[in-house]
Amino acid sequence: MSTNIFSGKRFQLLVKQHFIHNAQFLLLSSGAYVGVIFIVLSVVQVGNGLEPHRLEIFQGFLIGFVTVFGILYVGHSFPAFRSKESAISYLMLPASALEKFLFEFVSRIGIILLTLPLLFWITYHLQGYFFALFTDQIFKSVGLQYLIKIDDDVPGLVYWLTSGGVLFALSLAFTGAAMFTKQPLVKSLFAVAMIVMFFGGYSYIIIEHVGVGRYNPPDTLLLIPTEEETALRFFTLAFFAASAVMLFVAYCKLKEREV
Amino acid sequence: MVTIKDLKFRYSKKQSPLFEELSCELSSGSIVGLLGKNGAGKTSLLKLMVGLLQPTEGSVRILNHQPSGRQPSLLQDIYFLPEEFHQPGISIRKYVKANAAFYPRFDEELLNRLLTDFELPDDRQLNQFSYGQKKKFLIAFALSTKCRLLVFDEPTNGLDIPSKGIFRRVMAGALDEDQLVIISTHQVRDVENLIDRVLMLEQGKFIMQKNLHEIAAKLHFATTSTPHGENVLYHEMVPGGYKVITPQKDGSSSVDIELLFNAISNGTEKMKAYVN
Repeated sequence: MSTNIFSGKRFQLLVKQHFIHNAQFLLLSSGAYVGVIFIVLSVVQVGNGLEPHRLEIFQGFLIGFVTVFGILYVGHSFPAFRSKESAISYLMLPASALEKFLFEFVSRIGIILLTLPLLFWITYHLQGYFFALFTDQIFKSVGLQYLIKIDDDVPGLVYWLTSGGVLFALSLAFTGAAMFTKQPLVKSLFAVAMIVMFFGGYSYIIIEHVGVGRYNPPDTLLLIPTEEETALRFFTLAFFAASAVMLFVAYCKLKEREV
Repeated sequence: MVTIKDLKFRYSKKQSPLFEELSCELSSGSIVGLLGKNGAGKTSLLKLMVGLLQPTEGSVRILNHQPSGRQPSLLQDIYFLPEEFHQPGISIRKYVKANAAFYPRFDEELLNRLLTDFELPDDRQLNQFSYGQKKKFLIAFALSTKCRLLVFDEPTNGLDIPSKGIFRRVMAGALDEDQLVIISTHQVRDVENLIDRVLMLEQGKFIMQKNLHEIAAKLHFATTSTPHGENVLYHEMVPGGYKVITPQKDGSSSVDIELLFNAISNGTEKMKAYVN
């Protein structure tokens, strides 16, 4: 591969630069994330008569915290695009568009999928053992495997569907951050709302007013999956395909950006 | 090093072109002054040169690359210092640690010397510096990258009087023969005795592009008590008399860039024809 497209050395330099420039911000953000989890888990435990959390609570909060903080963090991808001055420095930095894109992708989506769940697991245990020090209750540790495992009888396809859904949501926020300069997350959500409303309205007109609703063709003709497994497969594929398209759009936006 | 051919540029289809059929060729080993009034398009032209904007028509080539492709092999040979810039809240030392390695020819010794010249402590946070200090740091960093093309947009804006002097001194002393520096400014006095080629931009066109020694060979700049005389190409009233431009006879005057700029910009057709 040509060194103008990707160089491992330059990628390492981007990583190094990111951590030197943002060390303070990353520490503060991690502190805030851990602090919020600790407080919320403590409040819930006090509300439950100091009874230690069950596995369902662990999993519920895990999904909640990772989703909310993840989307917030990914929504602030490409921070250099928030101002003209920082965009100039970023675009003039001697690294290729692919290196910058991959770094942003890995440092946002990759780290979120690894770091946020892991930090949640650590804080959950810190909070649990901390309360166990002052109460008679015994805190039971939760295995690391429960960061990705839902239940024993959940089929593998559901994991794929969930992963696809999470990737889709994160890609949406990521692409929005590459496209919009100001308030990218709000604008991305607004754009999604507009698209959903447009298709909702379009479907309503087609079905109710044009009369498609009165026409009953065989299901196979509409190419709509009728079985549960086929439906799961269809939506999983749709999520991954939509994510790939959005990530490609984000890459093009970065490559063709003008200041 | 820089070749601009028939460049046409407009920000949007609805707007009239900012540049039309702009052409020039700049070679290494010189400091070029890009002069023009406010809104003449100096910053846009610099952005086109470094690849932050894409030409509508025509071509811009830097070191045989198309800058809008932003290839790393070219970017490591270009440093663009914009008028307004962003700096992270870290110390100079950390900034250098994070950014110097992107430039293969980075000269840390030169940086330390320039920081001393500009009286900048390397352990203080950049966001604690004044605007002028931040700018001095970025000028020092830019020169230390040893990039073959250095592009400065209004570099002396915000610098105090001693710093402007230091700027001229370090610029003259820190450059190699294979480097080209383009300085865009409307404060022509700040770059006097520094630049050796002038590009004047007005209404989307270069109204003059000449080496200073060519100008000095053609024009004589002097201060007189009267603006009249058959040879006077342009005159301007100043306290105590008149600044005049006449055809060169003995080759002894130095070029008054501000007067030249005013003469080309506001002067008669006779003046323009004489120079071009």
